Amino acid sequence: MEIKGSVALVTGGGNGIGEAVVKYFAGHGAKVAVVDMVQKNIDRVVKDVQEMGGEAVGIQANVTIEADTARFIKGTIEAFGKLNIAVSSAGIIRDGTMLSLDKETGKVSKKLGFDKWQAVIDTNLSGTFLTMRDAAEAMVNGGWPGLLVPISSVNKCGQVGQINYSSAKVADALMPKIIIGEFLMRGIRNIRCVAIAPGYTATPMLTGMNQDALKAILEDVHLGRLVAPEEIASMIGYCVENEALNATTIEITGGLCYPKGIAK
Amino acid sequence: MESIRYNDMEFSVEKDGDRWTLTYGLPGGSKAVAGAGLFAGLSESEARTRALALVKTIFPVGVRSVGPDVMHPNMIGDLKIVGPDVAHPNFVYWNKDSVSSPKDL
Repeated sequence: MEIKGSVALVTGGGNGIGEAVVKYFAGHGAKVAVVDMVQKNIDRVVKDVQEMGGEAVGIQANVTIEADTARFIKGTIEAFGKLNIAVSSAGIIRDGTMLSLDKETGKVSKKLGFDKWQAVIDTNLSGTFLTMRDAAEAMVNGGWPGLLVPISSVNKCGQVGQINYSSAKVADALMPKIIIGEFLMRGIRNIRCVAIAPGYTATPMLTGMNQDALKAILEDVHLGRLVAPEEIASMIGYCVENEALNATTIEITGGLCYPKGIAK
Repeated sequence: MESIRYNDMEFSVEKDGDRWTLTYGLPGGSKAVAGAGLFAGLSESEARTRALALVKTIFPVGVRSVGPDVMHPNMIGDLKIVGPDVAHPNFVYWNKDSVSSPKDL
């Protein structure tokens, strides 16, 4: 599938990886729907795309709400007449260990709040499911060639302090296998699904963190720096163009390793 | 083109080559781009009709039902939003243009 002339939808398109994906697609001739929770971020990205000479529409929505998902799919098709690419980049973190102990008594002093669990599962897993499901519905009913791109994470392997995030991201990583298996079973041949699992990426969330902690992270990255959001975006662009890529999850981490050199 | 007023917002549809740009007014008088490169090749009246339909989709009017499971609040930043109980008889679902709806209630 060619990017030029395609219509893409990017959730979380107002900043970070999502913004880079929007601009990559727009810069390569796709029409893009920028979906985000924050209207001012949408306005900024849509204006940037307009100044690039690209085509975009902004749609404020919460990916955890089923009615919002239906609305941003409808809005994309109303604006550009079809949908070919859906990238589910909306994601949040609410880190914390499941249990914390009191240093003196050794008893549990704090549990990870259910609200922190639920919010991350809602956005990173249920939101991805709803976006993929409704985008696929539109692609099937429209008869358009399509690519579904759940955004997973290298921390799908299980990161301490992220039981909520890692649980959601490992499920996101599994989606391509299940979705494409079901598509084969149902005779749906016009849609592919490839998940992307980024490593530590230079988004505002990471670049703004404690610099000592960031340095410690980078010591385990073979590349020696954070992955750029544009590098993630170009990988997704490659997935669009290479039709043999399907039913898989691609890691793009710069060579992230565990301490002592075992690749993650 | 004459502006579109919907849900107390002011929208403009302006021609840019063979396409149309949809903008809307922000508080303070500045403008934001809602969509660029839209409705290629359409006439002004067709673009206006399509723009109004698009505006109604991307800027919906109504009570935003976050939930509706009231036991399952959503977090937006640090703000906890508890959805309205849509099964409660006092819940009114508002899906009319805010300019015209008072007389319909």
